[in-house]
Amino acid sequence: MASQDLIVSSPPHLREKGLMGSAMRDVAIALIPLIAVSIGFFRLYAVVNLAVAVVTAILCELVMRAIMGKKANIGDFSAIVTGLLLALLLPPAVPLWWVVIGVVIAVAIVKELMGGLGSNLFNPALFGFATLMIMARVPLQVSYNLGSIDGVTTATPLTFIGVGSGPLSGFRPGYWDLFFGHAGGALGEVSVLAILVGAAYLIYKGHVTWQIPASILGTCFVLSAILGENPLYFILAGGLMLGAFFMATDWVTSPDNRWAQIVYGVLIGVLVVVIRLYAAPVGAVAFSILIGNAFAPLLDRMFVRKKFGEVKAVA
Amino acid sequence: MELKTFRGGIHPPYQKEATANRATVEISLPAEVVIPMQQHVGAPDSPTVSVGDRVEAGQKIGTSEAFISAPVHASVSGTVKAIEDRPDFTGALVQSVVITPDPGQPSKWTDKRDTSNLSADQIRDIAKEAGLVGLGGAAFPTYVKLSPPEGKPIDTVIINGCECEPFLTCDHRLMLERTDDLIAGLKLMMKAVGAQRGYIGVEANKMDAADTLTAKLAGEAGIDVSILEVKYPEGAEKMLIDAITGRRVPPGKLPSEVGVLVQNVGTAVALQDAASTGKPVIDRVITVTGPGIKEPKNMLVKVGTSIEHLIEQCGGFAGTPGKVIMGGPMTGWAQKDLTAAVVKGTSGVVVFDSASVDVEEEQRCVGCDKCLDACPMFLMPNFIVKYAKVGKWEMADKFGVNDCFECGCCSYVCPSGISHIAYVRKAKAELTAAEKK
Repeated sequence: MASQDLIVSSPPHLREKGLMGSAMRDVAIALIPLIAVSIGFFRLYAVVNLAVAVVTAILCELVMRAIMGKKANIGDFSAIVTGLLLALLLPPAVPLWWVVIGVVIAVAIVKELMGGLGSNLFNPALFGFATLMIMARVPLQVSYNLGSIDGVTTATPLTFIGVGSGPLSGFRPGYWDLFFGHAGGALGEVSVLAILVGAAYLIYKGHVTWQIPASILGTCFVLSAILGENPLYFILAGGLMLGAFFMATDWVTSPDNRWAQIVYGVLIGVLVVVIRLYAAPVGAVAFSILIGNAFAPLLDRMFVRKKFGEVKAVA
Repeated sequence: MELKTFRGGIHPPYQKEATANRATVEISLPAEVVIPMQQHVGAPDSPTVSVGDRVEAGQKIGTSEAFISAPVHASVSGTVKAIEDRPDFTGALVQSVVITPDPGQPSKWTDKRDTSNLSADQIRDIAKEAGLVGLGGAAFPTYVKLSPPEGKPIDTVIINGCECEPFLTCDHRLMLERTDDLIAGLKLMMKAVGAQRGYIGVEANKMDAADTLTAKLAGEAGIDVSILEVKYPEGAEKMLIDAITGRRVPPGKLPSEVGVLVQNVGTAVALQDAASTGKPVIDRVITVTGPGIKEPKNMLVKVGTSIEHLIEQCGGFAGTPGKVIMGGPMTGWAQKDLTAAVVKGTSGVVVFDSASVDVEEEQRCVGCDKCLDACPMFLMPNFIVKYAKVGKWEMADKFGVNDCFECGCCSYVCPSGISHIAYVRKAKAELTAAEKK
């Protein structure tokens, strides 16, 4: 009997198959409503930005893995998701070569050079975006704030944060516009509803837990109210929803334990409020989540899960 | 009816259809039986026979003076051919007695005596003399479990009829075919530890067994059938106790801590056999199945029979064998050849043909948390692996590696194809070694 060909490996000998590809594909699927609304508002601008980002992401991954002598891994969808997210973070009228640079930083440097999926400390899309924010701060800021390509876009709703109930507040978009659809700021800022639909799908599929988004949004709501902002406007405007549901929940860069996730969410929420109100509203969510990413490993070590049958020792 | 269960766990495909309805069959004798001197948790036995000796089936051939140990018996009548080290199913070399069986075997243990008047001490002695160990796979000496420590009274005995491992059906068949002996065995255990309550836990995918048991138990006070959700690892001792009684055994403690004794279906039947006929543990029912087996079967097998013989009895392999597993597919041992012998704790042989073997290349952990949700012990398996990879054993300890009972749920759900159990075993070994220093 050809017994020398038997495979010997440690148990279990049953595995659920193709999980990685299906999980990342689910993230891409969850972004479809947002992408659709975005294309509805920004038309060709959105289509071109998203396409350029995805193609660049795939090329970066192929090239980097080839250089490093690793097997191509496009099937896991993670590069595609990173490309999509980066395009969604940027305003529609951004020069295309910025999109390319952002994606190269995200996929080639932050993901692949760090050792590939699972080895990166920081969320690749946010890191790419944050780098662009620093490199091209002034033009990016302007394109967020003015938009006005073809008269389609208007300023990011973030402009109205920090103005309190002053005279400018009359110009800000209403809650329903922010919720259902509003052409302002980045591609991913167009509709809270579209984000929530996608997020509900991810939570239903078990890829994302409620702890992180709930603690971020809850903290922002309460803290912005205390500081005299309109809390509802605060959480609906800008990239907060996209960040809370799709970026801060990134498997690799968020804590794994539930309690650590809540603390992580609160930390990010506090940072968002502070940065938006006392520094600059554009990019506040991105910087906050990146700082949160840095705390994730520590938080997981601080909040070790309570084991089965473990009870608090009676002192 | 709401099914009882525990928190965490997984739902693998059960694939029990091939053998669930097949009655247990006897198989032909192998050309030799190989009986390892260590088939149990505890001290190994020393052979009490020599090469060339004639032995009777049921004769004791290995004993130990240690408290935690169990004697082994000749599973056939025949001649001792050799006493030598042979690799057991884990690949470890174990001193073994090799016996050439006589062509004709005597018929023994046919007279049954009433067991209802046995005392607790007598029951424990019977379990010890019969070499009875946990036949679910743990192989812990039964008489030790039947001797509860001072000051920790046992009020409940649970018979584990979950058989939550995919593919296996030997316990299912025992519940159907040996119903009366199973119940009698449970009563002996309850008497031995002085428990008033007895449960037989059965997963809801074996309702025929549950119904048969319920019918037999009608009018029986103190013993109930508990129907459990079909979920892996429902039959893990701590999970089963939690599901049925709501009591949670603290980390590092034994079930006696919460007043419960858990025994496998096969152990209860074997105890009743030993008590009523004097038959020691020399054979057991095992399931030989999987996509790589031509005619899957439940069979009564002599301890010491090689895997090769079992596969021949099932018409051989279907297709090219890819993986041969001793035990269930979640916790069993992959074999490098077919020489390993069935021991008391062997519940099955599962064969995957080369096309149906799950091979996954191990990738980096992506922090998806799926292992946290699956872990029935509420550990963080990804962190245990993370620290084991860099040799930080004390951190693996902090994250509960010693509370892991290696059910494999984490690896089953892992999108990165990580083999957590390999790391867990390494960490446990390192921690034990460090403690000894």
